[in-house]
Amino acid sequence: MSEVATVATGWGLTFVVVVTYSLWVVSRGRAIGRELGIGEAESPGSKRDTDLTTDS
Amino acid sequence: MSGGTNSTEMTATPATRVLGVSAVAATALMILLGLVISPADVVQGEAVRMLYLHVPSIWIAYGSFVLTSFSSLLFLARSKRRPDGGRHYDRLAGSAAEIGVLFTAITLITGMLWGKVTWGTYWQWDARLTTTVLLFVTYLGYLALRRLPVDPMVRGRRAAVMALISFINVPIVHYSVDWWRTLHQKASLSVGRRPEITGEMYWTLLYSVLTVTIIAAWLTVHRYRVIRLEELRDEETLEQLISSRRNEETADTAEPGDTI
Amino acid sequence: MLAEVLLLARKDLRIEWRAKVALGQVAPLTLLIVVIFAFALDANAPLLELGAGGLYWVAILYGGTLLTQRSFELETEDGNFDGFRMSSMKVHSLFLGKALALFVQICLLEIVLGPAILLFYDVQVANWALLVTAGVAGTMAFSVCGVLWGVMAAGLRVRTTLLPLLLVPVLAPVLLAGSRAFETALGVRADAGWSWTSLMFVISAVHTVVGLGAFGFLLEES
Repeated sequence: MSEVATVATGWGLTFVVVVTYSLWVVSRGRAIGRELGIGEAESPGSKRDTDLTTDS
Repeated sequence: MSGGTNSTEMTATPATRVLGVSAVAATALMILLGLVISPADVVQGEAVRMLYLHVPSIWIAYGSFVLTSFSSLLFLARSKRRPDGGRHYDRLAGSAAEIGVLFTAITLITGMLWGKVTWGTYWQWDARLTTTVLLFVTYLGYLALRRLPVDPMVRGRRAAVMALISFINVPIVHYSVDWWRTLHQKASLSVGRRPEITGEMYWTLLYSVLTVTIIAAWLTVHRYRVIRLEELRDEETLEQLISSRRNEETADTAEPGDTI
Repeated sequence: MLAEVLLLARKDLRIEWRAKVALGQVAPLTLLIVVIFAFALDANAPLLELGAGGLYWVAILYGGTLLTQRSFELETEDGNFDGFRMSSMKVHSLFLGKALALFVQICLLEIVLGPAILLFYDVQVANWALLVTAGVAGTMAFSVCGVLWGVMAAGLRVRTTLLPLLLVPVLAPVLLAGSRAFETALGVRADAGWSWTSLMFVISAVHTVVGLGAFGFLLEES
């Protein structure tokens, strides 16, 4: 593997791992929150929150 | 971590949204700095860009494990005095450990790729690498212990003890592996030392550490809140089971097999 | 205190004497591992001689984990720990007593395994004193760690798979030190056998201190 390809693989994998984990945490929080019936009053803000977490 | 009432509302609060937005913005700049603006290294070439992920990751991983041990200690101290005290320390220990494992995995991935380019091999049995991989497995075991469905206080205490012993073990493991590699194989593969990092590369690295710290903080806060929600759900499920059981007993015609 | 430790150790050993699990089941299994390693390494005589020390400790690691498992299975099946809590005995005695019993059982295992390795892998002992001391040091470290992590997994539904996962990373330095010390004792390597042996004593001392401090937390309401 060339140097550039290696760097791309490393950064790519890292971002996949971190983004997947963030999405999992947030969606799990949402799912349980819904189950318990809390946090639903905040629905206008929640969409923006999803957009936010996909990138971080 | 905002107060108890707040954490039950949602996993996001205005404060953590600010944290999340800054994490995204910082990441964008980090990509720009790390992949575009900073120059390639004279010795390592492009491979040096891997260190902008590798070094912050290991720093966060070790930091998280220190946090886990510290809150485990506080949890043990509290839980002894009060019957239900210090649960938040247990949650903090759990969330920090998970973030630690995540970043240890990233450290290993980026480190191996970096090693392939610079050393010509993915793996070297040197003290740092071997300790890291053992640490990774140890904390995977810790997370496995935390996932078990038993009384939360019993689980919390066992997990806390495990976190403390594992932490004490880190120097033992590191020392013995280090000794193994230096004492017995004096003429081992000449591993190139990490080069001196100066100027733009130094600032990029420092900035990456900051960025990854923000990301890790954001993740830890959210994970903490999710653990809190999980606990609330478990308590509610238990209450439901108990009340349905009671109803069954009071009613003369009990329906069979609805509860566990 | 000492009387309590001996009493508790004797209880475990008497159970073992009646059931003969260590000698009747685990020891034959470790013998089988010795044979299997020869298959894995294609019965390559120089390779087996070189690796004999390490393979010995791997076999002990496996057998010892099974014995640790069994040691706590006996306690939790009938809720013995509840009975223990109601007695006036100290938690420290339980920790030391169980460690002592485990130590004796693993020693039994080694008495079977040691000669088997010497015979099958055709190795010569260069330093008997080192071999025995390193064996004792490694077994001590193993039994102390085993009891500490055994009680951690005790009574949990997934203990059979959880215990090895928790125990092996902690025992990794012991395995490393034991293998190197045995290599010196068997004349494969020239140096540092005694240093590795003292490292194993240090590891057992550290875990004894930690175990005495932590056992109370682990035993509560488990």
